[in-house]
Amino acid sequence: MVDGQKSPGRPSFFHKPAPPGAAPPRPVAPPAPAPPTSPPPPASPPPPTPPDYRLAPPPGPSPNGPGAGPLRRPSFHGNGGTLFGIHVVNTLLTLVTLGIYYFWAKTRLRQYLFGQTQIEGDRFAYHGTGRELLLGTLKAVLVFGVPIFVLNVIRDVLDVGVLLKVGAGLISAILLFVFFPIAMVGARRYRLARTSWRGIRFSFRGRVWDMMKIFILGTFLTGVTFGLYYPYFLVARQTFMVSHSYFGSERFSFDGHGRDLFWPYVLAILLTLPTLGLGWVWYVARKRRYFWDHTSFGPARFACSVSGGPLLGLWAVNALLLVLTLGLAWPWVRVRSIHFAFGNLALPGPLDLARIQQDAQRVSAMGEGLSGFFDSGFDLA
Amino acid sequence: MRSDWAGTYLDGRTAARHPATIRLMREGLEITAAGGTRFWPYQELRQTQGSYAGEEVRLERGGELPETLLIPDAAFLQSLHEAAPHIGPRFHDPRRRSARIKWTIVAAGGVLAATVAIYFWGIPALAVLATPYVPVAWEESVGRSAMAFLAPPERRCGDAELGAAVDGVVRRLTAAGPPSPYTMRVYVVNRPVVNALAAPGGHVVIFRGLLERSGTPEELAGVMAHELQHILRRHTTRAVIQDVGTGLLLMALTGDMTGPLAYGLQTARALGDLRYSRRAEEEADREGLRMMMAARLDPGSMIAFFENIQKEAGAQPEVLTYLSSHPMPAERIARLRAMSATWQGPAEPLLPQADWPALTKRC
Repeated sequence: MVDGQKSPGRPSFFHKPAPPGAAPPRPVAPPAPAPPTSPPPPASPPPPTPPDYRLAPPPGPSPNGPGAGPLRRPSFHGNGGTLFGIHVVNTLLTLVTLGIYYFWAKTRLRQYLFGQTQIEGDRFAYHGTGRELLLGTLKAVLVFGVPIFVLNVIRDVLDVGVLLKVGAGLISAILLFVFFPIAMVGARRYRLARTSWRGIRFSFRGRVWDMMKIFILGTFLTGVTFGLYYPYFLVARQTFMVSHSYFGSERFSFDGHGRDLFWPYVLAILLTLPTLGLGWVWYVARKRRYFWDHTSFGPARFACSVSGGPLLGLWAVNALLLVLTLGLAWPWVRVRSIHFAFGNLALPGPLDLARIQQDAQRVSAMGEGLSGFFDSGFDLA
Repeated sequence: MRSDWAGTYLDGRTAARHPATIRLMREGLEITAAGGTRFWPYQELRQTQGSYAGEEVRLERGGELPETLLIPDAAFLQSLHEAAPHIGPRFHDPRRRSARIKWTIVAAGGVLAATVAIYFWGIPALAVLATPYVPVAWEESVGRSAMAFLAPPERRCGDAELGAAVDGVVRRLTAAGPPSPYTMRVYVVNRPVVNALAAPGGHVVIFRGLLERSGTPEELAGVMAHELQHILRRHTTRAVIQDVGTGLLLMALTGDMTGPLAYGLQTARALGDLRYSRRAEEEADREGLRMMMAARLDPGSMIAFFENIQKEAGAQPEVLTYLSSHPMPAERIARLRAMSATWQGPAEPLLPQADWPALTKRC
């Protein structure tokens, strides 16, 4: 099973390439989309992470049954005050250690956020460690950061031939391009593998190379079509991310199609000027709804009810809170966003928890050459 | 002390929850669940949740895929410490929570103190230490990318005669000084702003507003001498390092990499907003004035220009831009005047054939 040490990856999201054209207004803390596993991830489509299982009574006496009704919602029990306290201590230790503690700080925060997230009467648990996060970041710095830096120095600073400069610039650009899919897959693999619910681990089993193909094709077609292909690219990525995610032995699935987001996307572009960009909020809500509504786990399917107006309200108030407090209110902003996301998310339908078996994936450390490296996952704090 | 507690046992292999009865013993827990009884020694357990209000207590045993025990009532921990007083801080003690609040407040004070110390002392000291080691080639590359933003080619004044005149001023100033590793380049930018600024590696930007306000080439030389000194003394580079340091500090304070990273990437653009310390400004003044005198230019014209700007501030708000980045208290002028008193002359004219007022209008 999971072999310690290296980090497997985790969910996804993380950054999405900004849609060509207009950037959707992005308030500081995008509402945490994902339930459990990902309270902390920044903007992006919902990670399919939160599974929940049940309905089928587990073997043995099962006390979990009370609200096994058809409407299952995640809930968040943390509060801004505690989060603020954690943040204060984290900040002090980070400053005193000149930044080294950053990775442990991140881990503590995740432990708290995951541990306060509940579905079906049980909390999630985060099992990552600061050491893993530090090693993962070092790995990324060694394999991507240092070479890109050196190549850029060759390109911009050193006094060498034009050919060499062009070559260095090209390789640097390729490395940067390749870095995105690797980072997305690596981070998802790590975070999912370090998340559990009822003692059962999540996992991500997609291969980096497949993501790379989606990226290369998607970027190319998006460029060639002047951005119109972007919704298809987005859905292809989401399909890959969700349908390779597992809870124990059970897989999530995603049945969305790019054409369903095409017109909302085109509409958002057309309305950018008339609405001063605010139209993108409705697009973001639409996309989030679409992603969740097409994510299912066994016979159960997520249902998301986010809509543009309330989302805009959430973002506006959050932005106001942050500005008025010079950012000090961020723990409360975060909690608000999580409550908002969870309040709009449900998982109706039957769940057969008895079927689920622990099936954690082996997460290799650095060995196994390059492909082993790419598939071992790392997380960028 | 209560010794029997209700909880849930997870076997780590299935998603089933097994109701469990837990008995606190001196050396461990006796757990009855899933049709059997097991004994968990305290030394083999770790507590992963339950230190915060509202969390259930979570105890794990085993390696990567542990067995788990969940106890909803946090009072369990208190009883645990009573049952096994020798076990120490391995498990959270709810009675210590008020102490934790106290420590958090202390930590908040610590953050404040550390932030102030790092911002006002640590970062400037680090910048002073690091600046001499920054290669000139890097300064040039930073300066170049800043120019793409501050002086975009379509905004530069293309007039050849004006360009030659301005270059002549620079050459006169630099020729008098010791050799330097920088090639000074001056960009006249077609914006009405009354300001001039320097970027690392030998780039100076003069905005049209300031150019038009200079009555003689000597006055412009005064402004330029000041900016050139910022480059030669590497004030610009030091300011860039400080800016990056501030970005890192911000990152530590917010616990977020992405925002401050974006801030850091902005550095090149923000070069237009670089702030120098008062000492750096004084040094640029002093050395700038020496540069003027070494080039046999009348230091009085440098002072005159600064004085005019100062006087016009009330009537013409546009000169405030220059004053905001070059604060001009009365003692600054007085200091310059005292220094220039040693000047014996004679001054050699700068660009004698040029019709300066007409030239400055050609942008």
